[in-house]
Amino acid sequence: MSVACATFAPTVDAIWANGVSKRYRTGTLALDGVSFAIPEGTRACLLGPNGAGKSTLIRLLEGALRPTAGEVFLLGERADDPGYTAARRRTGIVPQGPGMYRDVTAREHLELARTLYGRGDVDATLDAFGLREHADKVLEALSGGFRRRLVLATALLAEPDVLLLDEPTVGLDPVAQHDVRALLRTAMAGRTALLCTHDLREAEELSEDVVILRGGRVLVHEPLATLRARARPRIRLAAADGERLAGALRARGLEPAADGDGLLVPGDAQRDAPALLRALLAGGVDVYECRPVAPTLEQLFLEAVRA
Amino acid sequence: MSPVRALLRRELRQLGRSRGALLSSIGFPALMLVVIPIPQLLGIRATAQRMPEGVPLPPGLASSRPEDLFVLLLYPLFVTIAGLMVPSIAATYAVVSERERRTLELLIALPVRLADILRAKLLALLLLGATTTFPLLAITTTAMLIVGLATPFQVALLFGVLAAALTAATCLAFVLTLLARDFRTANNLNGVLVLPMLVMTFAVLSLVPGDARLVVHAVVLLALGGAALLAGLRWISFERYLE
Repeated sequence: MSVACATFAPTVDAIWANGVSKRYRTGTLALDGVSFAIPEGTRACLLGPNGAGKSTLIRLLEGALRPTAGEVFLLGERADDPGYTAARRRTGIVPQGPGMYRDVTAREHLELARTLYGRGDVDATLDAFGLREHADKVLEALSGGFRRRLVLATALLAEPDVLLLDEPTVGLDPVAQHDVRALLRTAMAGRTALLCTHDLREAEELSEDVVILRGGRVLVHEPLATLRARARPRIRLAAADGERLAGALRARGLEPAADGDGLLVPGDAQRDAPALLRALLAGGVDVYECRPVAPTLEQLFLEAVRA
Repeated sequence: MSPVRALLRRELRQLGRSRGALLSSIGFPALMLVVIPIPQLLGIRATAQRMPEGVPLPPGLASSRPEDLFVLLLYPLFVTIAGLMVPSIAATYAVVSERERRTLELLIALPVRLADILRAKLLALLLLGATTTFPLLAITTTAMLIVGLATPFQVALLFGVLAAALTAATCLAFVLTLLARDFRTANNLNGVLVLPMLVMTFAVLSLVPGDARLVVHAVVLLALGGAALLAGLRWISFERYLE
């Protein structure tokens, strides 16, 4: 078993939500007319503040919940379709912080997964995820990092075409996060993946499309590159006297934002920086840093959510 | 292998490893089906007993000899209690604990439907109940046959009552599964669901005369279990199990 994946022609939408709404028994409207499609072979991240409806969407895709309105398709199949089980067998799911059995070993859990998927090599998977020496431990006895590895190993056992990842690194210590992220990087390459996360650095590192949900609605669905291109470029400046720098920038009609020991101002570095720098230096401000700043996903996310 | 079969094997293995589930599933029916009734059975044979005279009794009691009362009223009551309680108790281990500990998330992530998971769990409860109670019932009914207290037909009816009680309790366990989020609620609901069935049991056994009472009792148990199952399917969404 390898963590790497087979390739396929990117023609069909692997994940498609069509006007999906979900209202819980309690009356909470978790999703409100959500529509988006993830083509095969695309890695998308699903972002949004708490309560935005991310986990509900994953639950709908895994067939555990039924939409109140609209339709959800996984590899072209609805949960009620006869072909849905076959679609699920081509999908690996990493749930968010599942509980761990105290009477089931790692090997037994993987063997159950192999039976239900109808394929997979348990021993090779144990080796690929560094779980061999923990194979006969009950799940509850595994450390947080190894628990997450096991969940990931279960999702990848049958070498699925689609991966649904619900906050796969949440709650892990930095070392375990780094290890799991490295596994994810390899596992997601070449697969269709929907990564639900709060970690914007992780989302930026692992995906190329962004879906931002807020209040149960799709706020943004675009390739990360398009989103970046649309974002306002900024220039980072730093000077020995930060107060004086800020004052000089304000005097030129710019609104600086704090960024560590420097300041960010809107502007295209190639076009605006030379004149700005000349003016600042001429005005006696000792600028020692001036560079363009590519907008981070965090900035894009905050701009979208606050808009 | 079908998903339900694979999940059933896993459920049975887990129930087998659960000390609490096993002790409850063997200890309680052993008390109800063998330990308590056998001395009574022997007592009936050892000493002559009479029904009170001049006291108005329901038809099921009035027409019976003390021996018949044991076979057709007292022992069926024990059989019903055992049959109703074993799946209900096991359900708190197999089903409610899974929900409480959030381990269900691991199962739902696999290519299997929630309905299959529930089906496997309920089948496991039924199988566990049958495996532990039928041999115990066989011990006592064999003793009844040896001492001439019951006819083979009555013994067959007692097995029917036990099967009906197990089936009804499994249906109740399904409702319990969807409604109870934790052990405490599960135990409270067990009481709420099982108590009326026990009252109904005593009513049927004491009101219906002759061997027919066991048939009527089994039918009523199956009807109540079926009603619980249908009500659960109709009004309680499977999604509740995930909340």
